[in-house]
Amino acid sequence: MKKVLSLFLAVLMLTGVLALVSCGSGGAVDLTVGAVYIGSQTEPAGYTYAHANGIKKAIEALKKEGYNVKLLVRDNVPEEDAAVTEAIDALAGQGCELIFGISFGYLNAFSSAAEKPEYKDIVFSHATGYLSNETNFNNYFGRIYQARYLSGIAAGLKAKANGVKGQDNKYHIGYVSAYGTEYAETCSGINAFTLGVQAILGDEALVHVKTINTWGDPQKEKQAAEALINTYGCVVIGQHCDSAQPQIAAQNAGVFGCGYNSDMTESAKDAHLVAPIWNWDVYYKLAMKTVITDRTAFMEDVGNYYGGLKEGFVDISPVSKNCTSDTQDKVDAVRELIISGEWDVFSNVKLSFDADGKVVRTESALVTNEGKTVISADNSSYYVLNDAGEPVAVEGGASAVDSIIKGSMNYFVAGIEVEND
Amino acid sequence: MKTMKRFHIVRREGVSLRRKCLYYVIAIFSALLLGALLLLTCGVNPLDYYAKVFTIGLSTARFPAKQVENFLNALVPLVLTSLALSVAYKMRFWNVGGEGQFLIGATAAAAIPLGLGSVGGTVPTLLLMAAAAMLASALWGGITAFFKVKFGTNETLLTLMLNYVALYFVSFLGETKGKWNFFLRTDSDRPIFASVFDTVAMPALRIGDFSLSLALPLTVLICVFLWFYLKKTKQGYEIAVIGDSPGTARYAGMKTGWIVVRTMLLSSALVGLAGFFKLMTSGSLSASITDNVGWTGVVVAWLSKLEPLGIVATSVLICVLRFGCSQASVNVSAVDSRFSDILQGVILFAVLAADFLLRFKIAKKEEAC
Repeated sequence: MKKVLSLFLAVLMLTGVLALVSCGSGGAVDLTVGAVYIGSQTEPAGYTYAHANGIKKAIEALKKEGYNVKLLVRDNVPEEDAAVTEAIDALAGQGCELIFGISFGYLNAFSSAAEKPEYKDIVFSHATGYLSNETNFNNYFGRIYQARYLSGIAAGLKAKANGVKGQDNKYHIGYVSAYGTEYAETCSGINAFTLGVQAILGDEALVHVKTINTWGDPQKEKQAAEALINTYGCVVIGQHCDSAQPQIAAQNAGVFGCGYNSDMTESAKDAHLVAPIWNWDVYYKLAMKTVITDRTAFMEDVGNYYGGLKEGFVDISPVSKNCTSDTQDKVDAVRELIISGEWDVFSNVKLSFDADGKVVRTESALVTNEGKTVISADNSSYYVLNDAGEPVAVEGGASAVDSIIKGSMNYFVAGIEVEND
Repeated sequence: MKTMKRFHIVRREGVSLRRKCLYYVIAIFSALLLGALLLLTCGVNPLDYYAKVFTIGLSTARFPAKQVENFLNALVPLVLTSLALSVAYKMRFWNVGGEGQFLIGATAAAAIPLGLGSVGGTVPTLLLMAAAAMLASALWGGITAFFKVKFGTNETLLTLMLNYVALYFVSFLGETKGKWNFFLRTDSDRPIFASVFDTVAMPALRIGDFSLSLALPLTVLICVFLWFYLKKTKQGYEIAVIGDSPGTARYAGMKTGWIVVRTMLLSSALVGLAGFFKLMTSGSLSASITDNVGWTGVVVAWLSKLEPLGIVATSVLICVLRFGCSQASVNVSAVDSRFSDILQGVILFAVLAADFLLRFKIAKKEEAC
């Protein structure tokens, strides 16, 4: 008994001594930022990593400009209002002046926190949401569909160069997606990718979509990609899911693919073409800097943020060696059109390339894969589908308005086939 | 002829209370020490860290009242669920369906304001919600007792499986848009649960910045009631007898079947009530609304030997650890909030080891062979 006690005391003292050794302190802080993450901040890849990395990069960039930003994090916070509220309270309690929430399900908790009088000086910023207020609560997301269109061009070029067609004399391209038309985010991504493919292949392309009903499950992602390759003979695999498994499956089968979120060339050296990627740091830097310089101007200067290629918020990863030689030029040409604001993906103008590689614009209606017109050829009217699958008119503009792309889009364009198990 | 030493495990008799306490304290301290070593390897100062954990981050908080509120909001469902489960365990009925019963309770409670709106004011609505929660959970849990009594099914398996049925049911509600689905926000294109706070809120007593939810005093009352029920009433005695020996109970003329069903109805109804209380702090349903209390409650109930007061004490300890670790993790990026899970696991093992050493000793015995 005595032995046990003395050993116990010895270890206790040792720990005490070691504990006193480690200490630290920082300089004057210009801004304290809080972040609520759905996953763990120590994850090496994935959604939380993308945001955590973006925030870190933004803080480093601001440091170079002479601003000292302190970051406080609550991670592994589930989409449960009490848990999110508790996380917000903890961050606010530690003096955060700007709090980011990265997951859609944080919506209720973020919007009610922003309304609390004791938090009126704190700015709340919610990714992927749709709520906001006039003083201290915004949402942010990006035009990833623009990057997906560019990746579709790379995919189309590769399929054409590859030359393998199915029995129906069409190029078969696969797409592993978390969800289908249930979410405008996935639906607009699939459509944009397909329209990019069609810029090269026209109606010779058929895009097969397989949904896995989860945002990330490496096993399901792999199986879906394998099914697309083995069953439909797909030669390029696009994806809207978290892991690089679809790209690895493509590499193993000797075909090609476009990843998502980050450059997946590392994971599939011989298969990966380009990946639509997010540069979250672009937004995070803007938001932090605005709060530092003039917090009251946040909703005017930043507001509800929906950045695209123009802001550098979304992009494609560097064109890999697996791409065809003309990929870079063609992608750049379209990128130019989008950045200048001359053209956007969901409009009545379809792009293609002539023999010299010049962009050709053709006016034509955007039609769903069930034959319903959703953007008229003269650009006069825009539609989404009602519960019965019939088009109902919605507000339009030079191209589809953001509320369609972010929220109400619920159709697949012609050239897409959904493959159910 | 050779002699050989063999080790035997021998039951220990007459352990003093002082020794018991000493063993448990050493167990908890050893666990914390192991945690401290882990923290050191991550480059975190364990003294600072533990100071934050055991003060639940109050020392540096700008809004200390909120911290206390959140702590109590996390504590109430855990205490109530653990108590409820312990009622069934007294009878040796292994109700591991706390998660499912909690979810069903919360869902039934949410259905009232979201489906019917305010029913004649705050108080009637809240009463109706509580009743719905308790009734739905009682049926969800009671069915397992019914099957056990009627057909001799295994209640562990049944309650466990029903957890997943409830979980997927709630996930389904949360992911399926439709005109019938009144649980969802109507203004969102993407499915997300609506908040009941637009219709009804839990009455709370305001003391300065601090607001004390009615759920806390109610839980204390239930705790006292359960202590009285288990120790002092005939029904409580019946539960104890069935737990010790169902044969004796039957021989003594007790209607064991009905007692099992009745007790399980009570147990799961109380878990449902915990679900209702939690809903009134969250505002909206979610698949993770349980905060795992259905599982943690099992641990709490056993660690405290099914004693109501022990349950309250153990719940407070576990809640301080979990809540405190979350608070501490805000300032420490090297360890995330899940550190509390490790600590909790180590403490559990250490306490179980202490328990073992209190009940048994390892004795040497020389034997001829």
